[in-house]
Amino acid sequence: MGTPSTAPTTAHHAQTPEVDGFAVRASGVDRAFGGVQALRDASFAARPAEIHALAGENGAGKSTLIKVLCGLITADRGVVEIFGQQVRRVVEPAARRRLGVATAFQELSLLPDLTVAENLLLDDPPRGRLGLVRRARLVPEADAVLARFGVDYIDSRAVAGELSVAHRQIVELVRVLATRPRVLILDEPTAALPDRQVEWLSGHMRRLRDEGCCVIFTSHRWREIEALADRVTVFRNGTDVATRERISESEAVTLMSGRTFAGTYPEVFTIPIGDSALRVEDLRGGRLDGVSFELRRGEILGVGGLAGQGQRDLFLTLFGAQRAAAGRLAVDGTPVSIRRPRDAIRSGMGIAYVPEDRKAEGLLLELSTRDNIALATLWRRSTLGFVRRAAERSAVAGIVRQLRIGGGRSTSQAVATLSGGNQQKVLMARWLLTEARILLLFDVTRGVDAATKHDIYELVARLAAQGKAILYYSSETDEIANLCHRVLVLREGRIAASLPGPVGDAERIVAAAIREVPRA
Amino acid sequence: MSAEVEGGRRRWAAGVTPGARRVLYAFGAAAAVLAVGSVLHPGFAAWSSLRVMLVVASFTGFVAAGQMLVVLVGGIDLSIPWVLNAAAIVLTTTSLGQTSRLPLAIAAALGLGALVGCVNGVGVAVLGVPAVVMTLGMDGVLQGLSLGLSKGLTCPSCGSYAPRPLRDLFVGRFLGIPAELLVWVGVALLVTVLLTLTTFGRRVYAVGVNANAAFLAGLPVRAVTIALYGLSGVFAAAAGIALVGYGGQPSLGLGDPYLFASIAAVVVGGVSILGGRGHYAGVVAGALTLVAIITFLQAQRVPEYARSIIYGLVILVILFTYGRDKAHD
Amino acid sequence: MHDPLTVTLRRLVAAPAFVGYAVLAATAAAYLVVYTTSLGHPPTSFDYLSILNTALPLVYVALGQSLVVLTGGIDLSVGGVMSLCIAITASTVDGPGAAAFGWVFAILALGAACGAVNGLIVARARIAPILTTLATLSVFSGLALRVLPVPGGSISTGVRTVLTNPNQPTGLLWLALAVGCWLALRRTRFGMRVFAVGSDERSAVAVGVPAAWVKVGVYTLSGLCSALAAVFFVSTTTAGDANAGQPFILTSIAAVVVGGVAFSGGRGSALGAIAGAFALTLVIDVLFFAGIDPLYQSLFQGLFLVVAVLLGTATALVSRRRRAAS
Repeated sequence: MGTPSTAPTTAHHAQTPEVDGFAVRASGVDRAFGGVQALRDASFAARPAEIHALAGENGAGKSTLIKVLCGLITADRGVVEIFGQQVRRVVEPAARRRLGVATAFQELSLLPDLTVAENLLLDDPPRGRLGLVRRARLVPEADAVLARFGVDYIDSRAVAGELSVAHRQIVELVRVLATRPRVLILDEPTAALPDRQVEWLSGHMRRLRDEGCCVIFTSHRWREIEALADRVTVFRNGTDVATRERISESEAVTLMSGRTFAGTYPEVFTIPIGDSALRVEDLRGGRLDGVSFELRRGEILGVGGLAGQGQRDLFLTLFGAQRAAAGRLAVDGTPVSIRRPRDAIRSGMGIAYVPEDRKAEGLLLELSTRDNIALATLWRRSTLGFVRRAAERSAVAGIVRQLRIGGGRSTSQAVATLSGGNQQKVLMARWLLTEARILLLFDVTRGVDAATKHDIYELVARLAAQGKAILYYSSETDEIANLCHRVLVLREGRIAASLPGPVGDAERIVAAAIREVPRA
Repeated sequence: MSAEVEGGRRRWAAGVTPGARRVLYAFGAAAAVLAVGSVLHPGFAAWSSLRVMLVVASFTGFVAAGQMLVVLVGGIDLSIPWVLNAAAIVLTTTSLGQTSRLPLAIAAALGLGALVGCVNGVGVAVLGVPAVVMTLGMDGVLQGLSLGLSKGLTCPSCGSYAPRPLRDLFVGRFLGIPAELLVWVGVALLVTVLLTLTTFGRRVYAVGVNANAAFLAGLPVRAVTIALYGLSGVFAAAAGIALVGYGGQPSLGLGDPYLFASIAAVVVGGVSILGGRGHYAGVVAGALTLVAIITFLQAQRVPEYARSIIYGLVILVILFTYGRDKAHD
Repeated sequence: MHDPLTVTLRRLVAAPAFVGYAVLAATAAAYLVVYTTSLGHPPTSFDYLSILNTALPLVYVALGQSLVVLTGGIDLSVGGVMSLCIAITASTVDGPGAAAFGWVFAILALGAACGAVNGLIVARARIAPILTTLATLSVFSGLALRVLPVPGGSISTGVRTVLTNPNQPTGLLWLALAVGCWLALRRTRFGMRVFAVGSDERSAVAVGVPAAWVKVGVYTLSGLCSALAAVFFVSTTTAGDANAGQPFILTSIAAVVVGGVAFSGGRGSALGAIAGAFALTLVIDVLFFAGIDPLYQSLFQGLFLVVAVLLGTATALVSRRRRAAS
């Protein structure tokens, strides 16, 4: 764990009025969104010169708490204080600067059409005569800011929307660090970052802490929390359940999920593997630069590698959602041409795709659970264009039962009312109804609580046992290491290695991803 | 995130779904206008007066049906005025007043609407032209073609009248209901059945809520979009045919008031301008509300300028009540 | 291959207003050809001056419309505000000397106020811009009819000489003012915020941009521009018509689109819209000198619009692919 906090050492910040010694404090906060109670009598307190981690499953309320703490949204009930001063809603940048709170959000708030320089200097651009912005100075000054934080590999002339996710995250972090905050709040800062940048960020967090700043961050990765945090607060179901200086990982899992887990993956390695279901030859397009592999019945094939090496393009191109520049595909031995998702579905493929921003491409949140599940098989239950309602109801009910899609809620309610885990199950249910024989599962455990993760692992194993061929990607390398028969490691759009499973240790996948690929 | 969750909450909280609630609001607005009208103008809401208003509302009802279909997928159709006008001109110049040529004339007019609509759809769905621009451009194209080819409506066949059977739609009555209203009822049933009972309808709503997700689920997003713009063209043409049956002859600028009317009826009817939500029943109520307002203002002998002002203000008031974007916080 | 010429050319093509400039260049070339062919001599300075004065109203409306579209909105009420201001201008700005100019300033203030009403409704009541401005269009058009029920009125020669002098190119000053205002706006924090709000409103709010006030600001400016356009219009036509603002709704949107401003917001330049405004004005003359029946005018304007947009989309795609490859 990090060093225990000491009194602030330097006078970097003018007068840090410490009321009861807390920099940030929330007491008894309630906040609801529609029918969902995101925060329930939540309390939180962080001191200056401290790195305080906020842990919890997705949906536990961490992001909502952060938005309340930084003043972006108001609490329905309860008190939020920053250095003893009560805050409600703070939008004006000047007011925020006065408070000294800077926040970097999980849903990156860079403006995609503006350049990196404009994004960094939006609040306080360099002025010249007549108070007009000196556009010629934007780039040099932005470069100077980036250099101050040791970032020399991002061009500040680049348009923000065209940067990779990792680089956008870095720019976002620099934007926030540059405001010299007294309170720094980071929401999942390392989710999109490769290890080298995680080190970079950790260094800055520690430096700020030593200068007296209160650093609050959320993370899923227990290793990071252990390495960085002086204190940890665990959230579950919208309220705080514990605040300690040291929590072991197993204790944390128990606190976060409310039950104890064996924490193991289901046994998949006894599943017999059959004939070729999908053969891919020299697939090119997007970031893919010649990928060839074979996926067989009953096999769970993992796709690993560092972020952004082509995993997303592989899944979307296979499914016809993205155009392939070249390559050949064969399903069950027969060559197929897949130009749009319909072709893929007709060939027996199904895709459950959960994107990084979780909302854009999977579920239709305003429609009912039933509509979402039935969406890919409408043609099956239609007579002369009319929907056969009864057939639909029973088909959906069946799959809901089979997958234990919970909540006890009627399937005619909007899918937005379900928890993250259940939503992912709905997504998978849609494809199971199509009787797809090849399943492309892209990050289906993202943002899911531990119990449902376990359910999903069991489901994947069951599907493989039924003879389905599964291509599996997860942003948590640990899953790929333990759930897959084989792991393909992607690097720069090509397969760098093929590791037979169980890989066991996620580090081996990372190592294979970093090693150089000989140019073919 | 909040907007979607909010919609979800409303769905299970009320016994009445929010969709039904918005339709009720729309009928409420219509009832309110009729009530106010009856108070200040006895007999305003009597059947004889209501009947006339409904017939006039049917024209808005047709164009609003098409507009609603397009708005449901997040688009808009600004080509309605001149599709309507062109169809009206095509009808009279093809039929030349003869009943025997009426079926051909109707087919030609509706076909024109369908063609223009599909061109709009292709531009929007395939070429990626923003709907505002594409439909605006097509409106101009049709205006130019109509004016040019008919030489400003002075061509020899332009003086023809609409054939008898068409004009009889507004004269004839079945059980006291003008035939035109029965046509509107037919349209309403068609649209409602299409949207609520068919797979096509499911696809429309899915595309409207999230076109990307619909695409990934294998839905033919482009084809659906093109079909909807095509239908909008057909409905606009239908309105043109009906109007020329009502008035006897086409005129220039016949369709101009119907653009605003179609959008207003759609919005007053509770359809979201962003797409994915709405029912035709609400639009029917919306069309009636608009016509009731205008009729009331005319009955009060309000001068034209004041009618325009009050019309705009009433729309704003209605929008304030239930036409707002529920952004988070 | 980084010689200055290629780099400059590449940067020019990548500029958002490129399509606008290209379309203007093509239209101008067509105008020159058609004019010379039909009249036997190139256009005179009188012709150029006439084009300038005729285009000025659209230039200003397009400028205001660009600002609104940059935030991801749309302003359909420009026709109404313009009609209203035309009506008032033709009725009041016909007296002698300073009083006339005083009225001009009052009209500008009125236009801004109308715009502010739009902005407040869009930003605070959160009603979609297309619906808000459609409703206010109706209100403002009605008010215009009240002020000037029949076409007529006039404008004082003093004001006319300053604004759209038929003999001196004072119009150039006003054009320069429009361009200058845009360049200045681009160099204010407000200008950066306009792009921010159009690019991603939620993120903009999250980083502290007061999006609501930015929106009020752009609609107010749009109203002001419509008022200015109205005064120029009366100055050119020397009479008033309460329906005269109507066509400017569509032409201003056309100019904005032709000028490469993205409808989704966050990208583009008003200079492109200004170029588009000139192009649209020229098209009418091109059609006239080419001997095309004026009844077909809208046909060509419609095609012009669609083709220009397609060109813009194609250019954007090409430049994006080139950037991805480099």
